[in-house]
Amino acid sequence: MNFVNPWLLLASLGVALPILAHLLNRYKFNETNWAAMQFLNREVRVRSRQIRLRDILLLMLRCLALLLLVLAFAQPALKHATGFVAQLGERRAGVIIALDASYSMQHGDGKTTRFDRALKKIETIAANIRPGDPVTLILLGDEHRVVVRNMAFVPERFAEILRAQQATPESLDLDSVPRRLKELAEDMVAPQKEIYIVTDLQEQDWKNRIAWGELGRLAHLCIVPVTGDVDNLAITSLDLVSGVLRQGTVARYQVTVRNYGSRPATNVKVTGLVENVTADTKIIPAIAAGGSETVSLFVPFQNPGPVKITAKLEPDALPADDTRRAVAVIRDRVSVLCVEGTSGKSGGFISAALRATGKTAGQGDSTVESVSWVSLPAQDLTKFDVVILADVPDITTDQARRFEEYVRAGNGLIWFAGDNVKAAVWNERAKLKGTPLLPAEIEQPVSTSDALGVGGALDPSLPDHSVSRPLLSLPEDLLSEARFLKVLQIKPAATSLTVLSLAGSGAPVLVEHSIGRGKVFMFTTSAGPTWNNMAVTPIFPMILQQMVTYLTGREFEKPRLVGDSLSLAYVDQPNASDAVFDTPSGETITVPVREHRNQYVALLDHAREAGFYLARVSVQAPGLPVAVNVDTRESNVKCLSDAEIASTFAGTGIAVVRSDTDLLNEIEQTRTARSYWPFFMLAGLLILVVESLFADRLCRRTQNV
Amino acid sequence: MSEHLPNTFYLDPEVLHKVSDLEVIAREVVEGLRVGSHRSPLRGFSTEFAHHRQYSPGDAIRDLDWRVFGRTDRYYTKLYEAETNFDCHLLIDASASMTYGSGKVNKLEYAKFLAATIAYLVLKQRDSVGLSVFDSEVRAYLPPRSAMGIILQIDRLLRDIKPTPRTSLAKQLRDVALMMKRRSIVVLISDLLTDVDDLLAGLDHLRFAGHNVVVLHTLDPHELAFPFKGTWKFNGLEGEPPLTTQPEKIRDDYLASLKTFLEAVRTGCLGSHVDYTLVDTSRPLDAVLSEFVFNRQT
Repeated sequence: MNFVNPWLLLASLGVALPILAHLLNRYKFNETNWAAMQFLNREVRVRSRQIRLRDILLLMLRCLALLLLVLAFAQPALKHATGFVAQLGERRAGVIIALDASYSMQHGDGKTTRFDRALKKIETIAANIRPGDPVTLILLGDEHRVVVRNMAFVPERFAEILRAQQATPESLDLDSVPRRLKELAEDMVAPQKEIYIVTDLQEQDWKNRIAWGELGRLAHLCIVPVTGDVDNLAITSLDLVSGVLRQGTVARYQVTVRNYGSRPATNVKVTGLVENVTADTKIIPAIAAGGSETVSLFVPFQNPGPVKITAKLEPDALPADDTRRAVAVIRDRVSVLCVEGTSGKSGGFISAALRATGKTAGQGDSTVESVSWVSLPAQDLTKFDVVILADVPDITTDQARRFEEYVRAGNGLIWFAGDNVKAAVWNERAKLKGTPLLPAEIEQPVSTSDALGVGGALDPSLPDHSVSRPLLSLPEDLLSEARFLKVLQIKPAATSLTVLSLAGSGAPVLVEHSIGRGKVFMFTTSAGPTWNNMAVTPIFPMILQQMVTYLTGREFEKPRLVGDSLSLAYVDQPNASDAVFDTPSGETITVPVREHRNQYVALLDHAREAGFYLARVSVQAPGLPVAVNVDTRESNVKCLSDAEIASTFAGTGIAVVRSDTDLLNEIEQTRTARSYWPFFMLAGLLILVVESLFADRLCRRTQNV
Repeated sequence: MSEHLPNTFYLDPEVLHKVSDLEVIAREVVEGLRVGSHRSPLRGFSTEFAHHRQYSPGDAIRDLDWRVFGRTDRYYTKLYEAETNFDCHLLIDASASMTYGSGKVNKLEYAKFLAATIAYLVLKQRDSVGLSVFDSEVRAYLPPRSAMGIILQIDRLLRDIKPTPRTSLAKQLRDVALMMKRRSIVVLISDLLTDVDDLLAGLDHLRFAGHNVVVLHTLDPHELAFPFKGTWKFNGLEGEPPLTTQPEKIRDDYLASLKTFLEAVRTGCLGSHVDYTLVDTSRPLDAVLSEFVFNRQT
């Protein structure tokens, strides 16, 4: 026999209390000399002895009742009881139902989804739970959500709770499932514990991956698969490839569609929408099974401000991943201040590069003001979105501090090397107290030309970076046209990223780091043609415009995934103490603004919905849209085959039951534990009643006598 | 008179002040030296002349004052100031059972105060008082005297009492009866914790000797109510085996036995023409005495 609450058995020591009280009463008594002993005659003495015997009998009954009640509260249970002993107990079990609520469970066959079938399975499990038994229901996803925990089972209430559940747009974090289930199993008090995981057994999640550890020792584990078809198309990415994100321009977005099914998909229609208005439509003739295809959507921007961009497929078996969202902040104009260290040509090249416009570019969308470095102190930096420092010999500590504040407020700084740069002065004055202004410490210039005097070619070190992305779409010969004869040797800071480097040597050419809400780019080469020929190639305007676009972008333009946190950063301490996030479904969530590293940030921990959130600094403030997409790792809805299930769960002690009949048989065979607490409780209460009646009768008899 | 009281231990001036107006009355015929409030069966001599009263038919011829007749030719009867007196004999039970007391004063102490106060009252009305103290035997005997000085002897005797267990009450009463020469008022102060038949036999001895017997049955309030709670061990004061019990549960049995006993004693006393008064030692002495004297007068 084992006990659900064995520590409660300690309460049985309480039996000693009435015994102790009895003994104390017996041996610790008052004493007196007494004259009228003749009235304490033999009859009285006999009655005294009778009373003592009755007291002992009552004491024994009390102790027995107490023991039985303690046993009842300790909830004794037998794993395998037979015969009469089995008849005395009741079959009881605590049930934990883990329902896979990842969005792959929304995959349907036109009539029902996997999630609908999972709910049916749970109804079958629930039909075999006794009222009053503890039940826990947990929805598995990226963040597991406990719906009810150790609820005393009431069929109607549980059915109502079950009906209210829906699949989430989250992916499944299966690695954390055993630990979470173990916590729930340990928290459950029951003579026998059973865990049912109702899932679609996605191959990518389940195949030979999970170690259930000691969970099997805590509870009987049973997996109830609800598998289905594998056909699914998903948009896996929607990225800005090129475009300056200015009013009146057109940007090119790249959409990648993947076919996760086992059959080729044909004539896949991809629609691009801007503010829910169709802007472009493309047809992909065919996507091979398991393959991906990429199309470009051209998105025009008519008005300044944040724009919601959506790429959509025709609805299929799993609609959650048929839509991808992005946000672009369109500016009517960008102001750039170019500070030249010398009266050389670098300023001119920069201005020319930034003013280079395509046929769709609006006239005058960028203003570039070139000044000499000596007049830098007189400049009002707040009028500019980006400042470019080209071959500036040195900087004062005060200027360095001004630039640091300027960047921290969300602006951009681009730094070019040159012959005039005094490395030691820059290193000393740009160091500042916390984060240094520049992303690397400057050392000496080094030659990067080969024996024939040909400089090194450019190599995008971070292909996914916004600056690198348009370069990758260039022909190889065009990219290699830019040659670098000399670069500054640098020692990058720990927080910096090398965006571009030289092919072969790997010497950094463009390094980036963040300060507050802004970023600083550092070119280790010159802006003019003294150290390279980049300025006279088509790459230069491309890179420079992309950098300015990137620097004038905002954090919330970057799409998030479901489960990510959404943050709203403030330049200064806000007036309102709370920020507001409106979810795609219209719910309003208030988030407190907290100070973090000299910045004020409102952080929404977990984005639960896919769509456009609206972040507002206060209830009355206009909203900034934030795109939240599903994690397409979940889009591969292929399930484990029977053979894979057998190999995956062989020797784990985990039962996998497919049909309802198998499920019922499994419950019948495994639920063997019997709880005896009702029996002990009843017996204890009965003896208490008998003891009370007996005591009452004795008391009355004494009075009658 | 109390202001001239000798220095005694068992006389409380406050109590004496309260009971000073009381007069112990010999209800029946006692052998006295004078005729007065207590009618004497004896024709004795007078003690002190008071005045003359004109003879009226029925007056004793021998009380005629012949000298006055010789001088005046009128018949006058001589009247005497002191009338007759009675002997009051106080019997104090000094057995070990009398030493029980739940309060400040045990039964024996209470009995001593009671005896001393009665002695004072008797002496105050110029009667004689004597004292006997007994337990297993008669320990002391002080013959009745009417001189106030006897109060000092009584007080001394009461102080010297050392209780011992008693065997038989009847024997002691018989012995006392033999010692007493004249018929007296015998006041027995005792808890009477003995066999009822033995007690009544002893009282009968006194009655047969012509004594007017008064019993002051002295009991402690705890003995009357048995109010103990919890577990108690009762050790017998007269060598009985101890009993450990829960008094609450046997209280009814105890009180029933006590009631039977008291009823038997009261009935027995009534049958033997013995005045019986139950004295609760928690009651004030003056109240007890007032009640006792009142009962006797009525």
